[in-house]
Amino acid sequence: MLGKTDKSAIGFVVAALIFFFIGGLLTTVVPPMVDKSWSKPFENNDPSKGPTGKLRPYTELELKGRAIYVKEGCWYCHTQQTRTIYADTIRYGWKGVPSPISTPDEFVYDTPHMFGTKRTGPDLSRVGGKYDTQWHRTHFRNPRDLVKGSVMPPFPWIVDNPDDFTALVAYIQTLGRAKNWRPDNDYEK
Amino acid sequence: MAEAVQPGSTGGKVSEALRPAESIHHDTTAKWFLISSISYFFVVGIIALTIAAKFVWPQLLGSVQYLTYGRLRPLHVNGMLFGWLLPADMGLAYYLVPRLCGVKLWNEKLGVATAILWNIIVLGAVVMLPLGMNKGWEYAELPMPLVVLVVVAWVMFGINIFATIGQRKYEQMYVSLWYIMGCILWTAFVYVTGNVAVYFTTGTNQANLNWMYVHNAVGLIFTPIGLAIAYYFIPRASGAPLFSHKLSMVGFWSLAFVYVWTGAHHMLHGPISQWLQTIAITFSLMLLIPVWTVVYNFFATMKGQWHLLGANIPLKFTMSGVVFYLLTCFQGPMHSLRTVNAIVSKTDWIPGHAHMALLGCFSFFAIAGAHYVIPRMFHTELHSEALANWCFWLFMIGGLGFFVTLWLGGFWQGWQWNNPSIPFIDTVVALKPVWTVRFFSGVLMFGGITTFLYNMMATVLGSPKTGIAKAAA
Repeated sequence: MLGKTDKSAIGFVVAALIFFFIGGLLTTVVPPMVDKSWSKPFENNDPSKGPTGKLRPYTELELKGRAIYVKEGCWYCHTQQTRTIYADTIRYGWKGVPSPISTPDEFVYDTPHMFGTKRTGPDLSRVGGKYDTQWHRTHFRNPRDLVKGSVMPPFPWIVDNPDDFTALVAYIQTLGRAKNWRPDNDYEK
Repeated sequence: MAEAVQPGSTGGKVSEALRPAESIHHDTTAKWFLISSISYFFVVGIIALTIAAKFVWPQLLGSVQYLTYGRLRPLHVNGMLFGWLLPADMGLAYYLVPRLCGVKLWNEKLGVATAILWNIIVLGAVVMLPLGMNKGWEYAELPMPLVVLVVVAWVMFGINIFATIGQRKYEQMYVSLWYIMGCILWTAFVYVTGNVAVYFTTGTNQANLNWMYVHNAVGLIFTPIGLAIAYYFIPRASGAPLFSHKLSMVGFWSLAFVYVWTGAHHMLHGPISQWLQTIAITFSLMLLIPVWTVVYNFFATMKGQWHLLGANIPLKFTMSGVVFYLLTCFQGPMHSLRTVNAIVSKTDWIPGHAHMALLGCFSFFAIAGAHYVIPRMFHTELHSEALANWCFWLFMIGGLGFFVTLWLGGFWQGWQWNNPSIPFIDTVVALKPVWTVRFFSGVLMFGGITTFLYNMMATVLGSPKTGIAKAAA
């Protein structure tokens, strides 16, 4: 059948689209219908099933901070996913508590998604509540003042704009907080 | 298998398709597309060098918010993809489709309008991306108004190419035509998925669409149009018929079927269903079929013609591109395996891999095409063969320096990450020598871009050979 498509442009178009749409539809439209956790916000009240907690929608302030995160391209260097890799859970844990593995239901309110592809800086999937506002202020002004050897750019114009800075920090403090993963609840403001 | 086929195809009549019939072609559209894309290659090359330098000197331009890494990286990626590579490939398509069909381009005015619109899009991106107007999806950063213009321009391109093919003189269509038609059709859906459909989804669902787009931007846009160019220029530049028509069909239809399934391999070990990851891995391995059939076909075509490689610039670029294609498409399936992925994913290996595909392979094809068609379109000789050789070696040495150090560095980085007792910042500091080598490799590649631009412009403007070029020769 395909032998004839090099003589008929219309036959070719039909075949090329069919080939494309088999895989195209099965891998994009079907998966969210099969796996409901892609669209159902995280909620767990039973400690025996892992960390408890509930995913809530972002507030207006957090959304404004998120827009800055998107605009400044933070996501080119910071991923937001604790993968199913042992080292990820240990490295992105806190004070001996491993980071819970990221699950699709924690990201239901995320658009654009910020999973990322490249880790030039550390993963931020559980960074919420690790550092306080003063730490972030100093760090954004010049990352190397706090982390010697860092290659992160300085962002003085964010720190100098209190509205932007407050919003961005508010967003960062939400990251990974749907799951109450630190038993002592020792989260920073 | 070893049927000897004319470059045109099996049919004797079709072989005329590759015979010169220069007189009927105006090539205005092809000229516009190629010259503007080569100019953007140079401009965006400066951006590329700047962001590579920022890894070595992180304070560089640090107080200017429009020039931070986060603002310039999307400009680098979109500038190279949509400012240089895609319009260069489109320009070459405007050149070779009419020749393979034995007729004039369907509508030269529509073509020129497409070229103008394309330049508006690129200039818009150059202004809007540094201002931070970034949609937030990789490869799909361009703001919505520009997305609409891209779609319009793509439809204009598609109409012109399909209408030209519709009135072709030869019934049988040569492989390059299939790949160009495939590219036009699939791009339309892939681009709309990545830039529009994502708005109707969130989280993991959206990421899945995003990776389907990102992966197929390379696999179903740049791969087919790049292979179309290679399929045209390898027989053309070497003067040998294409080894096998049948193999080229196997390569094309397996690409059409297999590629689209693999998007989820960008999220291996990530928050996406395991079964979807397994599907993506399986199909990623199957990608070896279209790749190896195509590469075998190219190498078999070159059999007995390898002596031409030294003196033939387009052939040198194309065949090096084929080798990089083989390598990059071996890496791809291999780092889709869960075990390998656990080491290299998210590391500097990834930019090494991506650059070998888009620079080492597809840009080499486009550069080869430009060296071949620009002198012919302007009815002149290439300004300087010596400069073209310099261009090749600057790209080759710079490219290898870039790819190899990032692979080694990426593996090293991944191993360090997988040992949680090493603080993260130590893994950053460890990579600094790698980033320094990457920057200086970038300087060499930028030398290649500059030489390329100069040689092409001098060819177009027909300026007399300079003393420098003669001395180098």
